[in-house]
Amino acid sequence: MDANLLEADVGGTLKDGFHSQGVYIYRPANHSTLLGERPTKRRKVTRTNELRAAKPHPFVALLNGKENAKSIELRYRTYQQLWNAQESKIKEILDDVDSEVLTNVLSFVRSTSPRTYDGCIPAGLVTVGSNVSSLGRLLSRLNDQLTTTREGGVIVLESGDAPNLKTTLKNIIRFGITNTEGNDGYQSFVTDREGPRVLGYDLELLADYAQRKGVKKLVLAFRDSEAFDPGILADLLSLLSSWVDRIPFTLIFGISTSVELFEGRLPRSTVALLRGRYFEIHEAKNCVDRIYGRIQAEQDGKFWLGRNITSVLFEKSSDSFQTPEAFSRTVKYAYMSHFFANSLSVLLGNDAVHTIQKDRVCESLRNLPSFRMLCENLIEEGSAERVRILLGDDAFLLEQTFQWLKLGQQKMRDIFQCVNTIYRASKHLNLSKKTSMSDLSIRALAGELQNSASYEDLLRTVKTLNSDQLQVFATMLPTTLKDRAAFKQLGAELESLLQPYQGTEPLKSGYDKQHSVVATTVVQQRVKLSKAKARLPKENIEFTNVIDRFYALLESYFEETLIRPNTLILQEIFLLDMKNPLKEVFSPRPRFAVERALSSPFDYLISSSGSAEAGISAHQPAAAILYQLYLESGSLVNIHDLWQAFYAVFESDQGDSCDERTVMALFYRALSELKALGMVKSSRKKADHVSKTAWMGL
Amino acid sequence: MKRKQPDSDEPRPVSTPKRPRTTNTTTNGSVNGQVDREKTPEGTPAKKLKSTPKKPTAETPAALKASGLKTPTHKNKAKALFSTPTKQTAAPATPSKARNADRSAKKKSARLLLEQDEDEIWDGGDRLAEEILQEDNDTAPLEPTAAPTEDGVVQSVEAGSEEPAAGDAAAPTPKRRAGRPKGAKNKRSPTPEGELPAHERYFFQNRAGPPRTSNSNLNKVNLLTHEEYFEKMAQWVDPFREEKELLLDLHCRSFPQWDFEFDQGFNICLYGYGSKRRLLQEFADWQYRQHEAVSASPSVVIVNGHTPGVSIRSIFATIVTAVLGADIPSKMGSQPQEVLELLQSSLNARGPEHPPITVLINSIDAPSLRRAANQALLARLAATPKINLLATADTPNVLLMWDLNLRDQFNFVFHDCTTFAPFDPELDVVEEVSALLGRKGQRVGGKEGVEFVLKSLPENARNLYQLLLTELLSMTDENHLSDDEMGPGEAGNGGGGSRGEEAGIEFRALYQKAAEEFIASSEMMFRTLLKEFHDHQMITSRIDASGMEILGVPLAREEMEGVLEDLVLA
Repeated sequence: MDANLLEADVGGTLKDGFHSQGVYIYRPANHSTLLGERPTKRRKVTRTNELRAAKPHPFVALLNGKENAKSIELRYRTYQQLWNAQESKIKEILDDVDSEVLTNVLSFVRSTSPRTYDGCIPAGLVTVGSNVSSLGRLLSRLNDQLTTTREGGVIVLESGDAPNLKTTLKNIIRFGITNTEGNDGYQSFVTDREGPRVLGYDLELLADYAQRKGVKKLVLAFRDSEAFDPGILADLLSLLSSWVDRIPFTLIFGISTSVELFEGRLPRSTVALLRGRYFEIHEAKNCVDRIYGRIQAEQDGKFWLGRNITSVLFEKSSDSFQTPEAFSRTVKYAYMSHFFANSLSVLLGNDAVHTIQKDRVCESLRNLPSFRMLCENLIEEGSAERVRILLGDDAFLLEQTFQWLKLGQQKMRDIFQCVNTIYRASKHLNLSKKTSMSDLSIRALAGELQNSASYEDLLRTVKTLNSDQLQVFATMLPTTLKDRAAFKQLGAELESLLQPYQGTEPLKSGYDKQHSVVATTVVQQRVKLSKAKARLPKENIEFTNVIDRFYALLESYFEETLIRPNTLILQEIFLLDMKNPLKEVFSPRPRFAVERALSSPFDYLISSSGSAEAGISAHQPAAAILYQLYLESGSLVNIHDLWQAFYAVFESDQGDSCDERTVMALFYRALSELKALGMVKSSRKKADHVSKTAWMGL
Repeated sequence: MKRKQPDSDEPRPVSTPKRPRTTNTTTNGSVNGQVDREKTPEGTPAKKLKSTPKKPTAETPAALKASGLKTPTHKNKAKALFSTPTKQTAAPATPSKARNADRSAKKKSARLLLEQDEDEIWDGGDRLAEEILQEDNDTAPLEPTAAPTEDGVVQSVEAGSEEPAAGDAAAPTPKRRAGRPKGAKNKRSPTPEGELPAHERYFFQNRAGPPRTSNSNLNKVNLLTHEEYFEKMAQWVDPFREEKELLLDLHCRSFPQWDFEFDQGFNICLYGYGSKRRLLQEFADWQYRQHEAVSASPSVVIVNGHTPGVSIRSIFATIVTAVLGADIPSKMGSQPQEVLELLQSSLNARGPEHPPITVLINSIDAPSLRRAANQALLARLAATPKINLLATADTPNVLLMWDLNLRDQFNFVFHDCTTFAPFDPELDVVEEVSALLGRKGQRVGGKEGVEFVLKSLPENARNLYQLLLTELLSMTDENHLSDDEMGPGEAGNGGGGSRGEEAGIEFRALYQKAAEEFIASSEMMFRTLLKEFHDHQMITSRIDASGMEILGVPLAREEMEGVLEDLVLA
């Protein structure tokens, strides 16, 4: 009780001390007292102190805090290694995606000047569509290029920087100068000028700067050009055009809609000041697919994202526009959560054998669902002895574990190789159905790829391949298939078949359309079509034989490779397949959370006395009671009646001991909270009425 | 409107609160009751129609008129959704009670239907009876009279909506069904909506038509003052203290996780019901101790979004101070952008050995921070490397503040941190509620406050205020009479009649009177006097539709009378 009282005091001082301050630097003034008074907090602090003393990384001990420091560190290092590798891959892709546009824009900037455009300002119009982040990347890389060659720089303006003309100009000048000179350079540049003092928004400053530094190109980019006030933009452009003989401006407009709409918003006189080119940045979807492919299907993969996560990822990027960066951050979070919270992820580490705490790891291994399933299967098969060893012998279990892990990882790689093959082959063979890497991956991860249309299409097409196509196709196959003896033999046979073959045309199989002959006969005034195999040369018959065997091989290979990943033993370690941290963390539903808290408060308040009951009762927080009464009301709420109903709830429960004024204070508090949550607003329709603004579940 | 207490032996069905007919005839004030009983043809329904702010849909007027004239009590349907104001009956807390009430109401109504005679006048009674029985029918789908194709919900919505005539009530169910007019669906129905899906419920509750709430208001209720509120809250013991502590502790356990998320370049946004200020305080504490050993200058900056004076520039400036310590440049610039840039450059200039700055923003969706420009600036702050931003959001629709671009810059991970903690530091509860009720003036001190101020003012000013009050009161008196005639349907304006704030006198008119009474000889002087009142919030002024300035007094009618009395007596 004492502790509680003191704690209340602490709360009081916090409130009083900082309530009025809008913003302040936090200093725990009552540091020592805090420690002294709160046993629970102190425990936490000492533990973190220990951890920090050992290593400066943010991971904490799992397994009820019994994980040792070495394992924790290994987990962290493994995470870093894995993710850093993935991150560099992503960066490569992003750089690669933009590089074409970048070179175009760069050459545009370099080649044009007001002189080549009859005094008009050169302007690049870049449509970005939903891929909003790409322009930022493009501009920063452009800036790097221009500054390293000392040609000039890029000034990036956002709509927020342009509330009015003066501020816009000031910002342009400041950004332009600080870009190369830094903040201090700007200050000294403004103050240490010779001649009459100019104001911060005088373009004279920028002209002076351009002249002194020998700036050849000054790119002014409007990132979100639609969000700029057209009036300000028009004024600005006319002003810039009058300075264009002294400052070498080039403009770049980022456009999310279309060039026509952009042009339509500006007055014609302004449009006449500009002349330029149009660039297009590709949509994000493409890029996201590539990133996903790189991350999952690489041959050195150690850790994969499962089906659920994949579908969450793609759902998000297709439902709402999502930048490639945001996509990769979501992937990153999945990696983070796996290594942060799964103690067994330590086994993915390079030197895991020597670092892990064997007893604890074995204990957790034996608790894995996939391990249990394995044991059950073993017992059904009658090898109870083996199960006994697995359960009893730590060393044996560990040895097995590493084997299983390797095997499982190889299987995952194979799956993605198949996916890759199917994807590339269908692209190469121009199969009618357009399939994306993501669709195929989701199906493969669910173990349903064999049932998919694209898979069937592919197999059907394989039969009709001619010898040249077959050879190309064979190069695309997964390496594990290529290494098989049967495959090698087939290759040799094909080779020997082709060697003596002299024809200019590639060999065709019997399944080829050209080899079937359609015979037309007229029987009793009816046209009868009959298909028949044309007579094939001997080589072709042999080739057909090869194709048949190839087909069978391919089918059986796919059959055995494309298994459901979550049937693999120890899949919990190398496969993360939980929807939830990801979905909740990146697509939160705050409204749902608030509504839930208010309508069924005991979902959150875990009651020790077990007084949770359905329906409105005085045993709920005041705001929850009021909210539920509010839910029953119509669009207009009479506060007097609401108050009476609220009071009745308490009165019926507490009887005479119920203090009306206290209940009213609670009512006030709850009502003000509803207002702050935006659920009611005052109404002028009737006296003492408020209108309802939120409907639960909508 | 004065409400009489209903007789205690007439328990109203609590579960169907929109059917207060039994009591309404007694509660409705004598004038209205009279009107109803005499069935004055030009009576309420027509007027009510006129006063409805929303235009009814094409079919409704006919339906309304037809039924309205025939069944004058119909307007009683426009009664409260929350019509459970009485102590005897209003116990929504105990469902058993409600059920009992229902049951006895059913018994009564059955009797009423049996004893059916020609008293058409009070058809409300048997309609209610019908409805109560009907409700039973609705819950029993095998009831023969119910059309088999219609599901229970729809029926209950339409059930009481439109009985063709009271005379039909002798054989109520089948005939009613046959004779239901087409437009019946658009009519307001007193039946509760039952288990409607959310969107249906929305449309149900937003149908066109007059508001259907009771006319009771808070004039008789003694509202809370600041002092009383704080006094009561100080005495009050939260029954959920333990649970809330547990919840808070649960959130506190994720501190290391948040730290890791910060470390990986994410920013954090906490949402959910309840004030998260204490949680943030705990986190600041934890962070502080985390980094204490690593660096001598652990920097945690806390922003309280709900503080009225907080500006983006001051936030940035404080962070700059946290970064640079003593050597802050004398001029930071007046624009927040400039300060932000200074911040970014100084962060870049700092060596890698410094830990990042943690910025904790309480209520990033507070009204003062909510503006789009502010959010854009905060997003830029969040996108700055070496700044870790943790923001809390209280409102349910917080996500609407950020578009794709801002979300990208903020780079938030979201965590549900429902704390159930009261928003005491954030909200000025009494103020908020007063504003919500449009009774802001009363918090200044009401009658006593005004009288106190008047005492200190010169004779002239007192006379002017007296004049103003007299004018206002005489105006509202006129209003009041007509108000009563108009009945509750007119409450949209009628409610204003009893409220000083709504009624007002035109500026010119008051000046004229004041000049006639030799209170003010010039407009200049008149304005000087008024300014004094303005300063003490004793008068309100607004511009009406025609552009005239209307002066009013933010007091309730009774209070105005009291003040006037005292002024005259003094």
